[in-house]
Amino acid sequence: MSDNREVLLKVEHLEQYFKLGKFVNKAVDDVNFEIYKGEVFGLVGESGCGKTTTGRSIIRLYDVTGGSVYFKGQRICAGIAPYKREIKRAKAKYGAEMKQINKAKKSGEISEEEWLKRASKAEEELLKVMGEQTENISSARFDHNNCNRLYAESQMRLVDEKYKPLIENETDETKRAELEKEYKQQLRLAKKDRIMNKMQMIFQDPIASLDPRMTVREIIAEGLTIRGIKDRATVDEKVYEVLRLVGLVPEHAGRYPHEFSGGQRQRIGIARAVILNPELIIADEPVSALDVSVQAQVINLLNDLRRELGLTILFIAHNLSVVKYFSDRIAVMYFGKIVELATSEELFAHPLHPYTKSLLSAIPVPDPLAEKKRRRILYNPIASHDYSTDKPTMREISKGHFIYCNDEEEARYRAELEK
Amino acid sequence: MKKMTKKDTVEVKETQAAAEPAAAAAAREKKLEVRNLTISFRTVGGKVQAVRDVSFDVYKGETLAVVGESGSGKSVTTRAVMGILAGNAIVESGEILYDGKDLLKISEEDFHKLRGDKIAMIFQDPMSSLNPIMKVGTQLTEAMLLKSRANVRESRAQFNEKLKALENAMNLAMGGDEQTKQNNKKRCGDFDTFEYRHLALEKEYLSARQGAIEATDAIDRLLFEIEKNAVKRFKEISAEIHRDAARAVHEYVVTDESITPLLDALKEKSDEIEKSPERYGEISETLTKIRDILNGALEKIQPNFFAMGYYEQFSGQPLPQMETQQLNAYLRKYLDDNFMLEFIDCAKKALVYSETECVKAKRELLPELDSAKSMFDGEPDKKAVYALIKELSQKVMNTVNPLDLVKDSAAYTFRSSLKSAVDRYFDGVAHNSKEQARFDKETEKYEKLKQSGKDPDFKLVPANIIDLDLARENILRVIERLKESVQARIDGEDKIDFDAKAVAMVDFFKEKASGVVNKVTKAIARHRALKLLEEVGIPEPYKRFNQYPFEFSGGMRQRIVIAIALAANPDILICDEPTTALDVTIQSQILELINRIKAERNLTVIFITHDLGVVANMADRIAVMYAGKIVETGTDEDVFYRPAHPYTWALLSSMPDLDTSEKLEAIPGTPPNMIFPPVGDAFAPRNKYALKIDFEQQPPMFKISDTHYAATWLLHPDAPKVELPKIVSDRISRMSEVNKK
Repeated sequence: MSDNREVLLKVEHLEQYFKLGKFVNKAVDDVNFEIYKGEVFGLVGESGCGKTTTGRSIIRLYDVTGGSVYFKGQRICAGIAPYKREIKRAKAKYGAEMKQINKAKKSGEISEEEWLKRASKAEEELLKVMGEQTENISSARFDHNNCNRLYAESQMRLVDEKYKPLIENETDETKRAELEKEYKQQLRLAKKDRIMNKMQMIFQDPIASLDPRMTVREIIAEGLTIRGIKDRATVDEKVYEVLRLVGLVPEHAGRYPHEFSGGQRQRIGIARAVILNPELIIADEPVSALDVSVQAQVINLLNDLRRELGLTILFIAHNLSVVKYFSDRIAVMYFGKIVELATSEELFAHPLHPYTKSLLSAIPVPDPLAEKKRRRILYNPIASHDYSTDKPTMREISKGHFIYCNDEEEARYRAELEK
Repeated sequence: MKKMTKKDTVEVKETQAAAEPAAAAAAREKKLEVRNLTISFRTVGGKVQAVRDVSFDVYKGETLAVVGESGSGKSVTTRAVMGILAGNAIVESGEILYDGKDLLKISEEDFHKLRGDKIAMIFQDPMSSLNPIMKVGTQLTEAMLLKSRANVRESRAQFNEKLKALENAMNLAMGGDEQTKQNNKKRCGDFDTFEYRHLALEKEYLSARQGAIEATDAIDRLLFEIEKNAVKRFKEISAEIHRDAARAVHEYVVTDESITPLLDALKEKSDEIEKSPERYGEISETLTKIRDILNGALEKIQPNFFAMGYYEQFSGQPLPQMETQQLNAYLRKYLDDNFMLEFIDCAKKALVYSETECVKAKRELLPELDSAKSMFDGEPDKKAVYALIKELSQKVMNTVNPLDLVKDSAAYTFRSSLKSAVDRYFDGVAHNSKEQARFDKETEKYEKLKQSGKDPDFKLVPANIIDLDLARENILRVIERLKESVQARIDGEDKIDFDAKAVAMVDFFKEKASGVVNKVTKAIARHRALKLLEEVGIPEPYKRFNQYPFEFSGGMRQRIVIAIALAANPDILICDEPTTALDVTIQSQILELINRIKAERNLTVIFITHDLGVVANMADRIAVMYAGKIVETGTDEDVFYRPAHPYTWALLSSMPDLDTSEKLEAIPGTPPNMIFPPVGDAFAPRNKYALKIDFEQQPPMFKISDTHYAATWLLHPDAPKVELPKIVSDRISRMSEVNKK
């Protein structure tokens, strides 16, 4: 729908597999979505469906198995497993072909020339696939390892472009020296600039995610220090500024995390995330460990920050009332796959996928009479879908409303939507 | 902040209301009574008052939801009920009455019999409530097996005791000549014998029926999976069907001839096609046939085993051959004519007699209680008081009716309550002056050090002074409460339905006897555990059964904890935020499970949570707690549609629902420090509707309706009118519209 809006984060065919002994757990399996600048994108689903893993893969806490993530137009992580799979498949195909023609040659069905022709053709095919995929792999590896350097280089170029002409055009010696000094400092900072700093995470458990042996100042300023800002006064000023921003006072900077209540601790976590001026915040269930009254405080805070700083937020949660209240668009995940994606009004007004329906029917409402009448819709993937012949894909069913279905279901959903 | 006019001199009238249930509720059986519970924690900084004067009742088969922020004392209250308070907790005053016992005063040994068995708890943190080195299955079945053994002993003892009491009462009621005594003895003996016979018969039947039910379920599942091409465990399920269906063979369920050939065919066929998934469809026909037979069997009428037990035991003849319905009528008549009518009649006589005796004794007791009260005016003498306690409690115990099925809590706990209250009083008498002297001395030393400029290296421990007036009041209150209960019993004398009571008596015997007969073996326990695991939504329970807790995710672990709590089949279930860590689908699954089990077993549930959506689903009554006090209590509709306390408003307005779009109203500030509890209403500093008096005086419980009470000065007739917050009133109007449709 918002074609003219800038895409900040693009996730393509993201895969994240975990090995569990003999088995492979497909925590995230072929997930695609885009997040536009300035929006709140909600990711919901039951526990264990891979929503947290998605968030963590995007911010590179895990090395992704497959697929790519583009952030601000640059590929920040890429997995190589699918390419390897492709090579393996091509090899297997080659092997089978060779076996077949060898057999045929032995029994005298085909002549020597025929054999040679077919063998060389098969080999050519194999080499072609291998060449392509090896290139893919090396490009993925390169992007994966060098995204921060590439970004720093582009930032340095920007600084160059800004200061070089200024310095050249400046005639006054002292002013020029000043400019040059400033240029050098900016260049130094730009060199340490990382694209991953533009993406920050807020964790679920405010107690476990703060180091108990660091003061609040140290916790919040850690990112700045790593980024190369070492001047104590500047750091302090910035720390106090974000502390005020999240509703704490500068006096809190000298205390330790255990001296704070749950809501305040979560605010410290948020302060730590926003101090580097990130563009994207991945909020992994930021309120589910908090009391109701405190939940409201934190949600209001995130809302204010989003308005003031123009943040984009990937909001991962299982409390649907909160997600509905907070998000612009919502994706519903089920067992590693996104099954439905729509704007929040659309999703709640016209849920189409049976899992979404079941999820929405399970939301408790603070209304005893309605609550006692509420009937939960059960979701049984075996009963709801028959994917034995026709495999499902992600399809756009109405503008901005995507759903994971096959042809037969698409027709059914369309009919349902028209009603 | 608004100012209250003429408010500063309002007389505070403590309405005992909060403790008193609605008139309508009085008829229901009270399962648990909590009275004036006050609990503090001793800490380095001082005494933290976690629970302050909390009283509530919980009735049989209802859910009481306790709502509040963390630190409001809701968990501490329920932990006191479970007897698992932390070591530094001090129970300052109060009683928790359950089944004729005061849970605050019974020994740890006695608590072992209650905890987990009668009162079970689901904890918030599943990590710390599972044993990491025991398999999940073992943890689940452990309690069942242990409990079964204890249950058999206990049921047998209770059965015998009550029957003996009944025989005695019969003898006394019908005038004690030797012939009647003999008759009574025979009556009770006969009842004893055939009751066990009845249960043995019934057990076989029920087991067969259960087999049939489970087999049909499994068949349905397998047929469904075959239809959808998604069969996973063909071999196991078909073996399961075979086993369960074979179990269903019973005289009154399925005949051997009709089902065995089919089962054999099933076994043969499934062995043959076991390894080729595309041929699974071939088995459908046989399965359908078996299912139809079993379904037909399940619709048959259940024979009257109670009567049959008597017939088989005493008639000495084989059962007449006839249809089940006629047979039931015939047996029923036989039982009534030969035994039951007479037995019930005698039991009724005994009940009437024993009730009259009991009331007579209670009447005599009343004046004695009054005279006991007068003993505590002025300075009571220690020796005389202890002698009085001994004498009086003996008398009180004598007035207990031995045939009461629901134990008379007030009488049973009288002695321990009175004794601990008196102990506390004399403790104060003995130690107050010493404590004061010690404190004075320490203060003096401390001040001296301070003045001389040194830093004293010790902390001043406050004097542990017992308020003697308060202690005396406590004593009088114990006696007063007994008096009230005695008076209530005397007043209720003419309203008793003795027929119903006699029938209830027979039911009691049946229940206890079934406790003796229905032993839980290892196999049964395993079977039940698997069922429970399935019920709480754990996929592939047969596999999970043999895993360790670390192999489960957080949500799964929580479900195991719930399954363990339910496995013991408790009387009272305490849920301490059981679903906070779970997602909505599982949450509603678990809530449905708890609700269903509650309805099935007439369970009493105390549900602690801060999620109001969950409360709306679960609660029959709600108590809102803040800073260790109950600030509002009422039925679910009272609290959600007519909230009265500002704290309830704040809670309601701080949570978004699906239609909320305006800014949420967060509650500013944090709960008060309970080492120094505020003088007035504890919520006043965070309350934008606070009146001046809120900072000076604690509000009493104001009565709004029979079921609805709230502790806020806003309800005082002189208080200014305050509108509900917009976000709450909007939601309420929206809800009422939805509900009208």
